[in-house]
Amino acid sequence: MSPSVKSDSRFTPFAALLAWIWPGLGHLRLGQRRRGMLIMFGVLFLFLGGVLIGGVDVVDRRHDPLWFVAQALCGPIAFGTDLANQRLLSDPQVRLQRKSLSHINEFGTLFVALAGLMNLVVILDALHRPAPRRNTDRRARAEP
Amino acid sequence: MTNLLAYIPFVDPIHALQDWWYLLLIPLAFGIAVIYKALRSPQFEHYWQNVLVMTGQIVAAMIALAVVLIVAIQVLIPLIPVN
Repeated sequence: MSPSVKSDSRFTPFAALLAWIWPGLGHLRLGQRRRGMLIMFGVLFLFLGGVLIGGVDVVDRRHDPLWFVAQALCGPIAFGTDLANQRLLSDPQVRLQRKSLSHINEFGTLFVALAGLMNLVVILDALHRPAPRRNTDRRARAEP
Repeated sequence: MTNLLAYIPFVDPIHALQDWWYLLLIPLAFGIAVIYKALRSPQFEHYWQNVLVMTGQIVAAMIALAVVLIVAIQVLIPLIPVN
């Protein structure tokens, strides 16, 4: 028996990479379909909720670089939203009308940043989570 | 001359929420609870029930923290002698 089978958790960097590329994909890769789908729903709920509340302005690499560090943990969707921000709000007059202000901007930015930070936890979990075994569910059900 | 642009979801902010910003704590707590419970639950029998409980716990903790800060700033700090 190999050491990776003996230990409870396996090192799965490919699953972690998939978890960064698209939230929940890492757990789907590990065979944990329901967990992956719930993670995907949760991270996208926070991310899209933040962009819906504060507009595309809440993901801004140039003006909010520190916030973007946390937001970038959501994966390529954060970079895509930032790109959309730079293109859509490049005109100063349009930017003036579409810029989010005060609490709306703060909460929108916080939603997306928290989506990224929670996805970091998901990435770390995918990095060390064991693949499900056939008897695991039966054994768990048998336990009181 | 200023051009008025039509509202586009996910591009324009929802300014109507400006006065109700504190209610946004509820969906924020819900999103965190969905992800946390998805990671930590060994089974998913009472998943949504656990998510709602955790959402309530986060919101209650934030309200308690706000009350403590209000009491400290409005009541306790003014009691400190100036000299």
